[in-house]
Amino acid sequence: MENQNFYYDNKIVRSFAYATLFWGVIGMVVGLLVALEFIWPQLSFGLPYLTFGRIRPIHTNAVIFAFVGNGIFTGIYYSLQRLCKARMFSNVLSKIHFWGWQLIIVSAALTFAFGFTTGKEYAELEWPIDIAVAVIWIVFGWNMIGTIIKRRTRHIYVAIWFYLATFVTIAVLHVTNSIEIPVSWLKSYPVYAGVQDALVQWWYGHNAVAFFLTTPFLGLMYYFLPKAANRPIYSYRLSIVHFWALIFLYIWAGPHHLIYSALPNWTQSLGVVFSVMLIAPSWGGMVNGLLTLRGAWDRVREDPVLKFMVVAVTAYGMSTFEGPMMSTKTVNSISHFTDWTVGHAHIGALGWNGFLTFAVLYWLIPRIFQTTLYSRKMANTHFWIGTLGIIFYAVPLYWGAITQFSMWKEFTQDGFLKYPNFLETVTQLKPMYAARAIGGGLYITGALLGIVNLIRTIKAGKLLPEEAASAPALERISNSRSSGESPHRWLERKPVQFVIIALVVILIGGLIEIVPLYLVKTNIPTIASVRPYKPLELQGRDIYVREGCYTCHSQQVRPFRSETERYGEYAKAGEYVYDHPFQWGSKRNGPDLSREGVTTGRQYKPDSWHYTHLLNPQKLNEQSIMPVYKWLIANDLDISSTARKIRVMQFLGVPYPQGFDKTANENLLAQATAISNNLKSQGIQVEPGKEVIAVIAYLQRLGKDVHTASQIVTPPTKE
Amino acid sequence: MEINENKSVEKDELTGDKILAGHESDNIKELDNRLPRWWLWLFIITVVWGVIYFFLFDVIKVMPHQQEEYSKEMASVAMNTTTTPSEDANLLPLTDKANLDAGKAIWTQRCVVCHLPLGQGLVGPNLTDTFAIHGCSYKDIVTLITNGVPEKGMITWKTQLTRDQILQVASFTLTLKGTNPPNPKPPQGEPCK
Repeated sequence: MENQNFYYDNKIVRSFAYATLFWGVIGMVVGLLVALEFIWPQLSFGLPYLTFGRIRPIHTNAVIFAFVGNGIFTGIYYSLQRLCKARMFSNVLSKIHFWGWQLIIVSAALTFAFGFTTGKEYAELEWPIDIAVAVIWIVFGWNMIGTIIKRRTRHIYVAIWFYLATFVTIAVLHVTNSIEIPVSWLKSYPVYAGVQDALVQWWYGHNAVAFFLTTPFLGLMYYFLPKAANRPIYSYRLSIVHFWALIFLYIWAGPHHLIYSALPNWTQSLGVVFSVMLIAPSWGGMVNGLLTLRGAWDRVREDPVLKFMVVAVTAYGMSTFEGPMMSTKTVNSISHFTDWTVGHAHIGALGWNGFLTFAVLYWLIPRIFQTTLYSRKMANTHFWIGTLGIIFYAVPLYWGAITQFSMWKEFTQDGFLKYPNFLETVTQLKPMYAARAIGGGLYITGALLGIVNLIRTIKAGKLLPEEAASAPALERISNSRSSGESPHRWLERKPVQFVIIALVVILIGGLIEIVPLYLVKTNIPTIASVRPYKPLELQGRDIYVREGCYTCHSQQVRPFRSETERYGEYAKAGEYVYDHPFQWGSKRNGPDLSREGVTTGRQYKPDSWHYTHLLNPQKLNEQSIMPVYKWLIANDLDISSTARKIRVMQFLGVPYPQGFDKTANENLLAQATAISNNLKSQGIQVEPGKEVIAVIAYLQRLGKDVHTASQIVTPPTKE
Repeated sequence: MEINENKSVEKDELTGDKILAGHESDNIKELDNRLPRWWLWLFIITVVWGVIYFFLFDVIKVMPHQQEEYSKEMASVAMNTTTTPSEDANLLPLTDKANLDAGKAIWTQRCVVCHLPLGQGLVGPNLTDTFAIHGCSYKDIVTLITNGVPEKGMITWKTQLTRDQILQVASFTLTLKGTNPPNPKPPQGEPCK
């Protein structure tokens, strides 16, 4: 066959690389602000836009979807063209993908700051942006698959398997988890409630880690590591086995985020066992990466790109061992709700994703700019500062998690909690939080050095926008397997079949876990006393979601003596059936709130306490790290949305009486007036129409339904 | 088809491992190495462990799930953690330093979130003035702390403090009387005799 000449598009690679660096700085700096708010809560300056509950999602989304996301696209757009010996399928799709993604990021940051959120972790975007994400993601997939189809190589390389699995799985996860019914342009309720919502959300959340932070990066590793080391991949067979095992097993492990929760026991068990089974498939990637470096270790000492890669792959190996350990019941009881999870996530984000992204950028930017890296010494300094930053970030958090867990669990000889005031267990951690912020600061310093180094490199070079290449056109051969060709080798030349099989493989686990929660009634035993929220409480709940209260307060009491002594009755599946969305939370920077409204409970606080506390938490607890929420007192509650909200809830199956939407605001005002009067009797003047009244109504409702009646049906656990 | 491409086996110079013929993507080659044995065993062991785990917990159900673990934990404590209110009519406040210091520690840990550190009151009433809502006597205060008045926001402490601790903190609150802290909450309830 004759040779064909074509050009690789380096301009799009450059665009994504610039976006990676830009959003990387933003995401990390916001992260540092988040970390500093643990030490100085006044850093929110009394502004809603700067409170932890709103900027924590900005930090997580910016780092995951903006920094890491653009990093993935940089690497894919560079490697895919070369692995396929073809230019990207369409320049227009590349541009739409790039600008669409950046626009989504900007709209995410703005909407989160202004309090538009679905209240589901890593899926906080409201419905119009969710649709935009789906569209742009399909543009990306279309462009990628189009490129693969017009490739000039016979087989698709392992990196591309990972890219394809990433594309299909993220599409399925994002769409399924984002099914929501709009109330207005920027407010919706998810179709799932309570336990079901929790399971779908963590199926999504866990697999966003798997298919956004892991599989695309394994793909990048499979391309850039052998390239940078100039070594062959250690084992083709290992790459086949670990690829399929990884994508099949990963999808099942979502419930490990809900160990000891109200999720049915059998689902929790699946979360445990599939997490442990994931150790080897995850390590398959690490092993294949590190063993590829055999014979090149002397160069690792010299080359900063390889150094970054080695630490990235090692961090991947560490966190994929730690993750399964954290999924076991024993470790999970410690790690869940404490800073252990945060430490774990950052080993992955700073080590695996961050370092591999920098390695890729250090490697490809000089190449597309036809020059060499400006300063190898600076890159080495970046490497050491960054590594130190990771250690300083994570170690204090592990230490803090164990400290806090021990304090939560400690009883006096008389059988009472030794540290009944939750705040004591937070105050104890302040030095650890300071050390963590220093670690994060170091990491950012390293990143900034990296950016300076790359800018200098770019300045010294000149972009080669169209890189000439040539390859023979692909000769048509039989669709069926030729003699001696292994089934997998056949599949590698059939990308469409490959995608379909990958899709089937990733659907199995999700279907088996999620569907029974809808079909099998015994999975969520009904509690007769649980009633829908009153309109004022529903409005208050929406403010709770808006402010991101779930980022610090859980609503899930685990069945431990230390938790039922502190908070009250442990969580039952049936109590959350009207919670669209669920608000169980995943980290306790403050106490659990699910029993807050139980008047006879240990945590009960009167309306006036809540009012004073929201206005100025430090007035009641000098050491409190909660931000002030004074705007709740100034803002009028928007009751024009009540009727629509009730109707959407009715549509979702919440049993409000027929026509209740028309009278809901009367009900709302009556309840608001009662709370306002109660506050007045305590010497606090606040009109019934203020937001704070709705928030108080919601907080005082929490846990009431399961404590006012004895109809709790405990699921039969043993025959 | 690559089987026929090259019959002679190409070897990696540095490691001597066999290079797979026809496996070259943008100059990246792949070696024909087996799965590392330790890795394969690790995989097999974790899968077997997973099957056994699920079988024991969820098929034959001989291992305890969280609900049974909880019942067991609570049964193992078997401690009555509810303090009974005092019936002693002639109860006298404690005055020795050790008990008052212990009372102050409890006060700081539990009470200040409503009554503020100096007892000047905020959500809860001022404890430094000569007014009281639920009675002035030492016994009244002990009963109040023990049972609480949940509808008014004072929670019951009998599930969180021992009888001795309640007496200590009640005695400590008496030492706050007449201390005139800054910004006191206006008097509430009835004047004490």
